[in-house]
Amino acid sequence: MRGNKYFFILLFSLLAGSHSYGQEEEFSSQPTKRAQYAWVVYGGGGPGYYVSNSGAPQYLSRKISNLSHVASFRLMWHPDHLLKVGVETGHLTFYTYSFRDSVDREGVVKLKAIPVLVVWNMAVTKRLNLFAGSGVYFLRTNLDYRGTTTSKKTSIGWMAAASYIYPLSTTVGLGSEVKWMNASETSNGILSLQLQLVWKFLNW
Amino acid sequence: MKHIAFLLLFCLFLLSCRRDFSAPVPNADWDLFFSAATRPLTSLAFQKMDGVYAVEEGAGAFGELAPAKWSYTVTGQDTTFHLSFFFGVDAAYMICEGKRLDSTILLNGYWRRLVGTQTGKVQLTIPKDSGAAFLLRPELTPGNDIYITGVYGNGNATPDFPLRFRFTRPIIRASMFEILAHRGGGRTADLLPASENSVEMLRLASRFGATGVEIDVQLTKDEVPVLFHDATLNERVVQKSGLLGPVKDYTFDQLSTLVRLTNGERIPTLRQALETIVYQTPLDFVWLDTKYNGNMQVLRDLQAEYLQKAAAINRRIEIVIGIPDKEVMANFKKLPDYQSIPSIVEYSETEAEAINARIWAPQWTLGLQDAAVDRQQAQGRRVFTWTMDIQKNISQYINEGKFNGILSNYPSLIAYTYYARQ
Repeated sequence: MRGNKYFFILLFSLLAGSHSYGQEEEFSSQPTKRAQYAWVVYGGGGPGYYVSNSGAPQYLSRKISNLSHVASFRLMWHPDHLLKVGVETGHLTFYTYSFRDSVDREGVVKLKAIPVLVVWNMAVTKRLNLFAGSGVYFLRTNLDYRGTTTSKKTSIGWMAAASYIYPLSTTVGLGSEVKWMNASETSNGILSLQLQLVWKFLNW
Repeated sequence: MKHIAFLLLFCLFLLSCRRDFSAPVPNADWDLFFSAATRPLTSLAFQKMDGVYAVEEGAGAFGELAPAKWSYTVTGQDTTFHLSFFFGVDAAYMICEGKRLDSTILLNGYWRRLVGTQTGKVQLTIPKDSGAAFLLRPELTPGNDIYITGVYGNGNATPDFPLRFRFTRPIIRASMFEILAHRGGGRTADLLPASENSVEMLRLASRFGATGVEIDVQLTKDEVPVLFHDATLNERVVQKSGLLGPVKDYTFDQLSTLVRLTNGERIPTLRQALETIVYQTPLDFVWLDTKYNGNMQVLRDLQAEYLQKAAAINRRIEIVIGIPDKEVMANFKKLPDYQSIPSIVEYSETEAEAINARIWAPQWTLGLQDAAVDRQQAQGRRVFTWTMDIQKNISQYINEGKFNGILSNYPSLIAYTYYARQ
C-alpha cells in the first residue's frame, strides 16, 4: 500500500508539473521541430511469460511456473530525428520450478536477471514506438535443494519491443508495451506486457 | 520508406534462427550380423587384425591408407571388442564390432568424418580364404594376407558403396608414444555419440585411437572432484536446467540431481572416471587437467588410490596431475613430497624441472623446440604437445618432431598419421 501511495503521488506530481509548462503540443516521441532535444525516462512493469524451451530437467517430477513479473527502467535521448538511443535496465524472473528427486526430497530453482542494454528507438507513428536493444543480462540462479545456493553468470542478450504511448500531457504519457527479452547465451527468453509511464523530464 | 525498412529489419531480426547440426550414429541393423548362427570373435582375432591396410576400393572417400587398431570396453561381465580404422581424409574413422559366421568374419559398424557431420553404415566381411582362417586360428602367428571387403553408405541408408582393404603390415607403437584424446575422448562440439568429459566418452576414447586421455577436473562446493571443462555451467556442455554460474558454487548432490551433460549423461566424479578408465578400458595414460584453484590433496589422494588399484590388477597405467599455470603450481607445491608425485607441467620448462615433473607439455604453437625437447628428454622427462587438430601440423610434428605424445581433439587423426608413417 505504501508503494502504491508513493506511485500515485509521483504520477500526480508529474502530471501537475508538466501541466505548468503550459505547452500546447501533447507528448509524442516523434520530433516536431528542428533542434529540439529531450531526455525521456520510461518506467514500467507487468507480467512476463517464459516462452523458451523447457528449462527444467524432464526426468524430474517438476512444476514449472512460466508466469512472473518484469520491471523496466529506460532512459532515452530524443534528438530531432526519428532514431533515438538510450539505456535500459530492470529486473525480471525468467522462470521458477519446484521439483522432487527420486527419494522425494523437494527443491526450488529460480532464474532471475538484471538486463543492462543499449536501446534504439524509432517512433513509427505519433504514438507507436519500436525498440530494439542489445547488451548483457546479469543472471542469478537461486537454488534451494539440500542447502541453498546462489550463483551468477553474465550473458549477452537483446530485447525488442513495441509500445503505444497515450499522451497525458505535454511531457507525460501512459503506455503499454509488448516486449521480448532474450539472454542469448543461455537461451532464455521472456515475453512481457507492461504498463508504462513516460516522462520527458528535460527538453530544450 | 524508412519505416518499412525498419519494420523489415525488425522482422528479420525476430525470425532469424540458428541451425542445429547433428551426426547421429547410424543404426547397426544387419540381419546377417545379428543372425543366431553368428558367434563372438576372440580378442586374439582382433589383435591379429591390427595393421596398416591399403584401401583398394573406396580410396576416393577415405584415402589410400587405413591403419586399423583393436580396442575393448568392459561392461559388467561382458567385454566388447572393436576394430577401428583411421583415415587421413577429414579426420574420418570407422568403428566396427566383429563376429564370426562359420569361417567368415563379419565386421559391422559405422564411419564418420569429424570434419563435418557425414556418417553412415559399414558392413564388411573377411571370407575364409581372404584371411579369416588365419585370424580365427587360436595362436598368435605374425603376418598373412588379409582382405576385408564390403560396403559403406550414407546415414541410415542401406550401404552400397564398395570398400576393399588389403593388409600391408602390422602397426607398431613405439614405447611410450601417447595418442591423447582431449576432454576424455573428444569435444561435445564435434557431435560425437557422448558428451565431453563423461564416463561414456571415456569408454569411446580408445575406439577413436586414443591410448590416453586428458580430463578436466574441477571441485564442487563440497570439494568433490568432478569432470568439467568450462568455468561455468553453460549450454555448450550442459542441458538447460536453470542452474548457471561456476561449478564450485554447487554441491555434488545438486549437480548430480539437476544437471545433465549435452547428451544426457551426469557430470561424473573423478572417482567414477578413474574407475572406468582402470577397469573398463585399455587406456594407459590419464592427464588430470587441474581447472580449479584450491585444495589439491583430494586430487592427489585419488591419483594414489587408482595407481594402486591399477597395479593390483597388473594394469600399466600412468595418472599424472596437470599443472597449467602458476596458481595451480603454488597449490601443487603445498602437497607433501610433491617432487615424487607424477605430474605434467603445461607451461615452463624450468618449473617442470623444479618439481621433477614426469612430463613437460608445451603448447604446439611454440614450434618443434628440438633443443628444449632434447634437453628435457636427456633428463628422463617426456615431452607432450597440445592441442593439435590440423592434419598438416600433425604430420609435421610426428615426422619431424621428437615429442613423446600429442594431445588432440581428433585422436583418430594422430593415430592415422602415427601408424601410417611407420
